[in-house]
Amino acid sequence: MTLAEDNGPERGGDDLFAAEYVLGVLAMDERQIASRRIDTETAFARLVDNWEVHFSPMAAAYPEIEPPASVKPALDRRLFASSSAAAPPRAGLWSSLGFWRGLAAAAVAALAIYVAVPYLSPPAVAPQERLVASLAADGSDVKYLVVYDAARRDVGLSLVSGERAAGKDFELWMIEGKNAPVSMGVIPAGQTTHLTVAPAVQQKLAQGAVLAVSVEPTGGSPTGQPTGPVVAAGDLKGI
Amino acid sequence: MAPQDISKLIVRTSMKDRAAFDLLYRQTSAKLFGVCLRVLNDRGDAEEALQEVFVKIWTKADRFAVSDLSPISWLVAIARNHAIDRIRARRVPAAHIDAALDVADPAPGPEAMVVAGGESERIYHCLDELEKDRAAAVRGAYLNGESYAELAERHSVPLNTMRTWLRRSLLKLRECLER
Repeated sequence: MTLAEDNGPERGGDDLFAAEYVLGVLAMDERQIASRRIDTETAFARLVDNWEVHFSPMAAAYPEIEPPASVKPALDRRLFASSSAAAPPRAGLWSSLGFWRGLAAAAVAALAIYVAVPYLSPPAVAPQERLVASLAADGSDVKYLVVYDAARRDVGLSLVSGERAAGKDFELWMIEGKNAPVSMGVIPAGQTTHLTVAPAVQQKLAQGAVLAVSVEPTGGSPTGQPTGPVVAAGDLKGI
Repeated sequence: MAPQDISKLIVRTSMKDRAAFDLLYRQTSAKLFGVCLRVLNDRGDAEEALQEVFVKIWTKADRFAVSDLSPISWLVAIARNHAIDRIRARRVPAAHIDAALDVADPAPGPEAMVVAGGESERIYHCLDELEKDRAAAVRGAYLNGESYAELAERHSVPLNTMRTWLRRSLLKLRECLER
């Protein structure tokens, strides 16, 4: 019932069919035919583009309305979370075991002293109950200092450098022995933040355990395993 | 933001540059949300549509190169066509609330002038050559994405009459635009 059908495929019919498509008056099935033709027929696509150009000044009447802030993170999840989650979830972490081991011990020691001093000022606590780690990685400017207080089940994180990208979160993981990484939670934004350690994690969180920070979609890994690149890692050491 | 800057952002988006995509979203999402909201007349639906529109922009940004449209018009066309497809897919078309139809059309600001570009005089001049109600039907169809069936109902004329009206209007417009 469109002009294209009335007049056959000659230029006039096609051109008006294109105009009807651009104007937006066609029924759903007719629109589907039109959009298929746009994809497959260059000549028809040009007719449509021509009408879009003709009519586009009328779009000035559309007001600008700020969409809610929640839309962009949801869009990013849609576009970027699924693709990274589709990768083997642990590959990123395990393949980067090398650089954890390659951490400069001297740097760790220096930073450990730096971070430990303020925490040590009330000297009543037994040293074994506090462990520190310096998290860093080659090719990344993200550096965290971590102080774990076993008695209070508290992990204090101090962001030394680096920033999370828009729509992304840093998630902290514990790797003990050859087991799969266990999430310790999304690291709250800010220079100095704290995470409470879950009892199950606490049992395994001891000297030698490796902590790692991965980049995840806002709100944390959708799979329960790291999905993004590891941007910082290091092992827990006694003070 | 100047059109050439938006062009650059679209081109960089076609090369999967996420920073450019983020900036493009920041610069253009309000306009495109305005389009979705006007056509769909439902905030939740419009938010969903806006996401889908930017998914399309991310995946099809390379097609911008073959269009004669200005960058913002190209983006608006994606949003408009997507919103119209979406509203057509609804089983029962939601009646446009008069209040939504009467959303004041603001005087074209600098941004609108970017949309308008050099061709703007032409289409307005040609619409003026149509009878008043026919021109209004064309404008309404374009801005609200109403189907022939909905337009017929709103103007209280039989469907075929509406179709004939609009096609004649389009033929006249074409004749005028090509003059």
